This record gives sequence, structure tokens and C-alpha cells, in this order.
Amino acid sequence: MILSIELVVGAALLYVLLLVTIAYYADRRKTQGKSIISNPYIYVLSIAVYLTTWTYYGSVGRAATTGLDFSLIYLGPTLTAFSWWFLLRKIVRISKENNITSIADFISSRYGKSQWLGALITFIAIVGIMPYIALQLKAVSSTFDIICGYPYMQLPFLHGNYPFSIHTSFFAALFFSIFGVIFGARRLVSSERHEGLVAAIAAESILKLVAFISVGIYVTYGLFDGFGDIFSRMAVKGETLGHLVTFGDAGETSYSNWFSMICLSMGAIILLPRQFHIMVIENSSEEHIKKAMWMFPAYMFLINMFVIPIALGGILYSGDILGADYFVLTLPLKSGHSWLALMAFLGGFSAAAGMVMVESVAISTMFLNHLLMPIVVRFKPRSWFPMMLINLKRLGIFLVVFLGYTYQQIVGETYMLVNIGLISFAAVIQFAPALIGGLYWRRGNKSGAITGIFLGFVVWFYTLLLPSLVKSGWWQSSILEKGPFGIGILKPTELFGLSGFDIWTNALFWSLLLNIGGYLACSIILPQNDREKEQVRKFVDVFTLHRQDAPWEAKRFSKPVTIIQFVNLMTKFIGEHQAHASISEYLGDREIDEKGGVSEFELPNLKRFVEKTLAGSVGAAAAGAIVESYLSDIGSRMESVYDIYSKVRADLNESSENLFVRLRASEIMNRTLDLQIIMDDLLDLVRKEFKFDLVIIRLLGDHNLLVVKSYRGEHISTIIDRSTSPDINTYLGDALLGNRPSFLNDTENNAKPESRELLARDGIKSFAHIPIAREGEAPLGVLSVFSRSIIGQFTPPFLKLLTSLAGQLAQAIRIDAEIRAKDKERLEKELAQLENARVLRDMEIAKQIQLSLLPDNPPEITGMQFACRCIPAAHVGGDYYDFFPKDKSIDIVIADVSGHSVGAALIMAETRTVLRAEVRSKNSPSEILTALNDLLHDDLSRAELFITMFYVTFETTTRRLIYANAGHNQPLLFRRGMPSCLELDAEGLILGIHRVVEFEEKEVQLSPGDILLMYTDGITEAQNEAGELYGMGRLCDLLDKMHGESAEKILEGVLRDVARYAKSTTLQDDISIVVVKIL
Amino acid sequence: MWPKLKLLILKRLRLRESWVIFFILGIIMMNHPFITIFNKPYQAYHIPLLFIYLQIGWLVSIFVIYLYTKAIDLPEDEDDRGEHH
Repeated sequence: MILSIELVVGAALLYVLLLVTIAYYADRRKTQGKSIISNPYIYVLSIAVYLTTWTYYGSVGRAATTGLDFSLIYLGPTLTAFSWWFLLRKIVRISKENNITSIADFISSRYGKSQWLGALITFIAIVGIMPYIALQLKAVSSTFDIICGYPYMQLPFLHGNYPFSIHTSFFAALFFSIFGVIFGARRLVSSERHEGLVAAIAAESILKLVAFISVGIYVTYGLFDGFGDIFSRMAVKGETLGHLVTFGDAGETSYSNWFSMICLSMGAIILLPRQFHIMVIENSSEEHIKKAMWMFPAYMFLINMFVIPIALGGILYSGDILGADYFVLTLPLKSGHSWLALMAFLGGFSAAAGMVMVESVAISTMFLNHLLMPIVVRFKPRSWFPMMLINLKRLGIFLVVFLGYTYQQIVGETYMLVNIGLISFAAVIQFAPALIGGLYWRRGNKSGAITGIFLGFVVWFYTLLLPSLVKSGWWQSSILEKGPFGIGILKPTELFGLSGFDIWTNALFWSLLLNIGGYLACSIILPQNDREKEQVRKFVDVFTLHRQDAPWEAKRFSKPVTIIQFVNLMTKFIGEHQAHASISEYLGDREIDEKGGVSEFELPNLKRFVEKTLAGSVGAAAAGAIVESYLSDIGSRMESVYDIYSKVRADLNESSENLFVRLRASEIMNRTLDLQIIMDDLLDLVRKEFKFDLVIIRLLGDHNLLVVKSYRGEHISTIIDRSTSPDINTYLGDALLGNRPSFLNDTENNAKPESRELLARDGIKSFAHIPIAREGEAPLGVLSVFSRSIIGQFTPPFLKLLTSLAGQLAQAIRIDAEIRAKDKERLEKELAQLENARVLRDMEIAKQIQLSLLPDNPPEITGMQFACRCIPAAHVGGDYYDFFPKDKSIDIVIADVSGHSVGAALIMAETRTVLRAEVRSKNSPSEILTALNDLLHDDLSRAELFITMFYVTFETTTRRLIYANAGHNQPLLFRRGMPSCLELDAEGLILGIHRVVEFEEKEVQLSPGDILLMYTDGITEAQNEAGELYGMGRLCDLLDKMHGESAEKILEGVLRDVARYAKSTTLQDDISIVVVKIL
Repeated sequence: MWPKLKLLILKRLRLRESWVIFFILGIIMMNHPFITIFNKPYQAYHIPLLFIYLQIGWLVSIFVIYLYTKAIDLPEDEDDRGEHH
């Protein structure tokens, strides 16, 4: 029984339409943000792309010919599922973090983004997968031929000069290629998930499972009576069953073959490019792995449950194992169940389509990224690049499928389905050592990976692919029987004389031995370069790596690149829209300077981001090459930062050199308190340790000027010999006013033109200004370092070190300033005390001098008694009295200079001198006062002082008293027998007011017993506690009481009485008193 | 009794060593010489011994992996912190 070709093609087209709808729906849901594939069940179903027509048809064929070993292809992956939570999850995590696009990208990224390695893996994948795709094409075209009963009989017009089977598989290849383009190559970004593709694959997995189980149930329970029935019937046939349900013979069913099959399948589940693509690239959440770990083995178990019944049923039904590969289809067909047969056909078609689609997408991505991009990046990027790249990728899909087609045409019917597939398994297992080693072994390096994979591939080609071509008769050779050039030991199937094994074990053993051996040997012997080391960290330590802790960048740009330049570059490869979207996502809240650039330390991150974004479309190796070549085009390159710590860096936060410098610096600070020595020693240390040409410390001085306090190194006069006021537009000012390190790693890139000339003239290549400030305080100055030879040494840790040194210096400066302030305060206090003491001493001397100017003892004149006394209130005073004895008379004067200052005392001294001179030439008191006023006027008005004075002349012979007054207190005259005192008064102005003053002169006749009391206002103005003045009344009463006493007694009585009245030992005013008694 | 035992089993399965042991055990049980025990042309209830062995072994593996995934979800507790990955 056959089906009409229209029905089959129609059903297939309808089915494809359904898939396209599902894919379209999934894509639409994704753009709405409601992904339907992001769940573990879809993930499991998509992994089931592992089960291709190989399983669908081939397993039955294998089971019918060699028995239970078919299940090893599924038991191997079941065993590896144990490891998925560690192994697969790690691969997924790394891939997501690095925008990995394929297995070639993954492995080459691990080994320093090596383009050669990526290309080698891609080449192996294309060649190695060729038989696998051929298998699918063969299965689809064969089943199509079977179900339609050799279509050329139905459609003879298509039957040209070629066997029709060519047409069937050709159309299948064409069909699958278009399919692959539609689902997998509509857009360029390949690290992005293809939701439509995954949804379609999941739908196909459901169909193939349902179809296969339906056929299984029909055969087991429809055609036969369950498992037991089938086995019993087979048992009757004798020999065959025993052969199928046991193993251990030589060759195809040997124990070694059994082991090889498990190994091959364990590798294939993750290493096949399409498996890697579905399980890693299309994975939407690591959590999904958990469900997949047991559900995927369960899926495999279900689909394989009926393989043996169908195989045995087929043998029983057809009586032969011929065409066992297609029992799934032929059994329903032959028994007349055309709908079941159609379903079985569609199931097989599904299995093939899914595999070819994913495989071609995965391999074309690798083809583009690792074979074409290395060539493309050599050209200058153009605006039509994105269009070209996507078309190249589409071309890649056709290439991959048609390579499979070609292989199928050559090898054709020679091999059974499973055996064709195993050739591919053996090819991809060559990736295992480099992949697993790369995940866990730090030392594994690029040369090891390339050597291992290359050796493995060569052995695979020689021991598996070559024999398949020879056996098909495409290449006539006796190499299989006699070995190349008749050298038996090199026979491909029994390499190096290793006989007694099947071809799989032979190939697997030798290829893996050389592969692992090469990998280990080269990794151990040869070193890793910097780029590899960086990648090792990202892979091996992916679970422990924290972004924040990433060590500082060991590279810098020789010329800064702006964001716009990077965006333009990305636009050329991934299109404008994508480029802008990704850059704005990256920038986020990062700081951008006025010229649209980011800080020097941010640039490497930006570059890495650009690489990663490009890697999502063109693979890591090509992305690296694109960015590198672009940078070199614009004259910038990544150069190693000058290794200031010479030995240790990158992965140590604090190098030993760093610690040494800090230690030395604190020693310097602690050794002395002398700031100048500290600064000089610190500069010596910095200059010698870091090989600077000039190091300077400038501190803020008066008028906010930065003054050079210390420098070491060359005397560059333009820098040193000037004090500058900080300006924000200079690097120096920026450091001080902004309180942040301001530096230039390469003066070629000087952004501030005014200083460029200056720097160029002095040959400065790089410099840094570090504010000298304590944490959270305003800077006190700037530490500047200049280099004439080293570019790019100012890295974040180095600046941090310098800043810390500057901070220590700031501390020292603060301490110094505090000590100085304390010293100054102490000194001032001492000076003040000293000054005070000096003044006191001077005052004491002045007092002594002043007192010595007053007559020590009153004169002794017959018929007269004198007493006089001066008690100054302060140390010196302005009171004065004097006696001038003449021939027949005596002049007595009493005066009071206003105030009690030294000035008053000096005026008093001057008055005395002038008076003594005038006394000789002038005769009358008024004349003397007039002359005195004239002479002293200028001095008094200049000193803003004045003098009151009472002047008397007593003629001893006549007892006549002549007197004049210049505003002084009227002296008291006690006359014997009179009831009260007489106040002697005369008109006259205080001395020093006017230059010309008339003084009234009066006279009075005295008689024995009369007492004249002359005094200053200290007596009458003495106050008691109530604030009352002593007054003239009291004085007068006292005189009355004591008139009988001697002059001295009277004087003492007055003083005593005044003291008693005031009750105070300290006098408010000077007190002077002169007592004259006529005897 | 059972919940306690289950918890104990799950806890042990959290350890990385456990899956390595199961993995190696699986490989041993599926290869020469262990498999020769079942690689005999006997039949039990008309079904060949090796077929039964592989099918049941397969199911047991799936079940162990299932338990294993449950163990991953187990909340971390004090005594085995640092031991598992």
C-alpha cells in the first residue's frame, strides 16, 4: 500500500505551516514580553532535538541488527544528566555572561578568544556533522520514497536522467535549508534566543514522541499481543533473539564497542553544535536545567520503550532484517494503516527537520563568526556590513545542508543510519578535553587545545571518515585492507596494529589518546598569554567571581576613544538600532564628560562591553579582532600600563612594593616633627621608588597662593620657580579645588591646551597632581609628580597609593601647624608678661625718680615750720610741690598734672625744670605762672594735659604772703584766734589752656601761729563708702583741732583722718600736702 | 520514619560527591564485567533478562536524578554548608 504524493506533500506542507504559525506566535509573544518558551517543559522538549531520525528510524534498525546496544546512545546522556547541575549550569552561566554564540565561540573564548581555535572547531564541526545531516536527508528521502511507493512512478515527468532519489533528497535539502533560514537566520544577533525556533522544535518533539509511541503501541498490541508475545515468538525463531538480547561477541557487539558507544553518546549530548545551541544558547533560565535533568532521560526512556518490540515485530512480520531502518513506517503501511503511516512519516519528518534546522543555525553561526569574520574584519567596516553578514549566514545554512547532501550522495546506502550518525559523534567528542579541561583546569592553554583538537580530528578523519568514503566505493583504494602504501601498521581501522576492536573503539581510543595527550602536554609545557589568563578567570571561577572585586585594569588606551566612535563601529556590524539600544543600556547612570567620553578607567570596560555586544553577533574572537583593528585604525591601542610594581600586580590588591612604600612613608613621618625634613624625605622616597623625574610639594600659603615648599629631582624652572594661584582650568587647580587626583597618563592627549606647550617644552610625558588632604577635609596643598619617560603609569591603585601618601603628609602638616600655633600662643603670653613686668619695673623706676624730684626734706628756716608729703595713687603721679628758699623769702609751689600716667609724671618733671629756671629770673608769683603757662602751653596741649598750680612767696622778714593761683584747690589758711579757715583764692586759668593768661596776684599778712595748708584734690575728693567727699569742711575742722601741734603732726593727722574716712588703703588719687606753720 | 529517611537521603544527595559516585556507579553497572551478570540468554516471564535490566536500571537512574533535583531545592542548612557546591 502506498499513499498519494499529493497527500504526503500536502500533509507535510500543512505541518510546516503549523510549525511556522507556532514559531510566529512564539516570536510575537516574546516581543510582547510574555515568552511562552521560557519554562522547563519547553526546554526539555527542545533538548529532545537530540532524538533525530537516527532514533526514530535508526534505533529500530540497529535493534533489529545488533540488538540492545541501540539504547546506549540514550543511556550515556542519562548518566551525564547527573552532572548537569554542575557542568551544564556552569557552561550556561559562562555563556550568558560572555554572550557566547556557539560551542566554537565557547571553547575559543576560553583559550584567549583564539581565532585559530574557533576556526578549527568550526571546520571540524562542519566536516564532522556532514554525515549526520546526510543521515537525516537519507531518512527523509527514503521514507518519502517508501510511503509514496517510489514517486517517479507517480510523477514520471520528474524522472529525467537521474535516479529519482537524488531529487527527493535534493528537494529535502533545499526545503530544510529554507526552513533553517526562516527559523534561525532572520536576524544577526545569535546570542539572542530564537524563541520561534525553540517553540517549533518543542512542537516537533511532541509529534515525534506521539507518533513513535502510537506506532509502538500498534505494533506491540495491534499486530502482536504485547511484549511477552513478541519475545516468545522470537524465541521460537531460535538463534536470532539470543543474538539480539545479549552482547559480547567480537566486533560490532563487543564489550569495548559497548563502552565506546556510551562514551560517544555522553559526549554528544552536549558537544553536538545543535545540542550546545539548544541547551546553552537558548536556555532562558538556569532553573530549567533542574527539571530537564530527569525529564529529558524520561523522554528518552519513553521513546525507546517500543524500539525493541517494533524491531522484533518487524523481523517477525517481514521475516527478514532487510529495511529494518524503516520498520516504523513500513509496518503500519504494510498492514494497511495509511493514517498511522502518514503520522509515522510526519514524526520522522519532524525529527529530521528539527535536527537540520537547529544544526544549520548553530553551524552557520560558527561558519560566519569563525571562518568568515576573521576575513571580514580585515576590511574597513561599511554601512552595508549588517546586510552582508546576515546573508553570509544564510549562505552558511545552505552550505551546511548541501555538504550533508553531497555526503549522502557519496556514502548513500553503504552504511546504516546509526553508523552514519556515530561518525559525527566521534567527531564532536574531540571537543570534550578542551571543553571540560577549560572549565576546571586553569593551566589548560590555547596551544594545548589547538594541538589536541587538531590531532583528534586528524585521527578521526583517517580512521572513520576516510574508511566510510572508501567503503562507499567513491574512492577506490586498498588502504583499508593493506594500509597506505602497503604499510599494514597504518591501516585506518586497525591503527598502529591495534587489532581486535571495532572501528568505533579504534577511532575513539586513538583520537582521544592523542587529543588528551596533546592537550595536556602542550598545556603543561607552554605558557599562557595575558589574554588567556584573563579568560581563565571568567570560565573557571564563574561562580565565585564577583564583578565588584574585579582587579583593576592592567591595560589602557594610548589614545582615548569616544562613545560615539564605538557606537559607529557597532552600527556597522549589528545595525544602528541595536547599537544605540545596547549603548544606552550600558551607559545607564555612568558619568560622561563634556566631550562624550568616559573616564580613562572606564574606557576598558566600555571596550569590553562593545566586544561583548559584537560577540553576540559575530563571536568573541571576531569581535575582539574587530575592536582591535578599529583601534589601530584610529591610532589607539591597548597598551600595558607601566608596571609600577614591577613584579606583583593585577590579582593582588596590595602588592609588597605598595606596602613597603607606605611603611617607609610612615617611618619618615614618625621620625621627626620637622615638616621640612618630612617633606624632603617623602619626596626622595617617592622619586626613587617610582622613578619620577620631578616631584614637588606645594602648600597653600598667604593670599591662597600655592608655594613650592619642597622638590626633588630635576630643577625644571618653569614648574618650580613660580607660585601659582589655583585655577580650575589647570590640572593643578583641578586637583586642589576639586580635591581629587588630577593626572595625565600621556601628555600627547592633553585636553587642556594651555598646559600642553609648557609640558611639551619640558618633555613631560605624564604627571599627576594629588591633593594633600586628610579624609573629608579641604586640601592643604598639592603633591605633584612628573615623568619624562613613562606613559600610562597612573592606575587606580597607584593613584590610591599616592593619595594615601598625600593623606599622611596632610596629617603631618596639620600636626606641624598645631605645634606652631601652640608655640606662638605661649610666646605671646610670655612676651605680654615680660612687657608687663618691664612696664611695672619702669613704673617703679619712674616713681622713684618722681619722688626723688620732690624735696626730700622741707627747708629749715627760722620762724617757720614745714611739713610735706606726696602719696601717689599709682606708681607715678602728677602731683608736685617744691620749696625755693631765697634771701629774704621762700617760694612754695604745689601743682597737680591731670591724670596719673607716665605722661603726667614727665610733664611734672618738665614743669619742675622750667619752674626752677623761671624762679631765678622772675620775682612775683603771677609772673612766674604767666611765664610757666607760656613755656608749657605747647607741650601740654600736645599731650592733652593741663596743670593746676598754686604759687606763694612768703617774705620771711615781713611775714607777707603773696600768692597766685592757676586753677588749683584753694589752700587753707588757719589764722590764730579766728573761728574758721580762710581759703586763699586768686583769679587764674589752668595752665595749658591758653597761651596768654593773666594771673591775679594777692597778698595776705601772716602772724605767728598761722598755719597754711596746701594740698591737691586727692584729699578733699577722697570718698567714703557712701560715696561722700571728704570736703574742705572736715579739713578745716581738723586744722582747728590740731592747730597747736607741729606742722609734721598736723600733716600726719590729716593723712590719718583722710585714710580713716576713705577706709581704703588704695587711694583714688594722688595725695600731696604741704603744711607751713608760722612760729 | 520515612520523611526523616527521605530528608537524610536528600541531604546526602546535595553533596557533589554523591553525583560523582552515582555517575561512576552507573558506568560500572553498564559495562563489562558487571553487565555480564545480566548478559545471559535467560528470560523472565518471556522477557529477556538484559532487556529488563536495562529498562529497570534506566528507570531507577531517572528516579535518582529526580531525587537529586529535589535535593538541590532543599533549603541550605548549617551542618553541610561549604560542603556542597
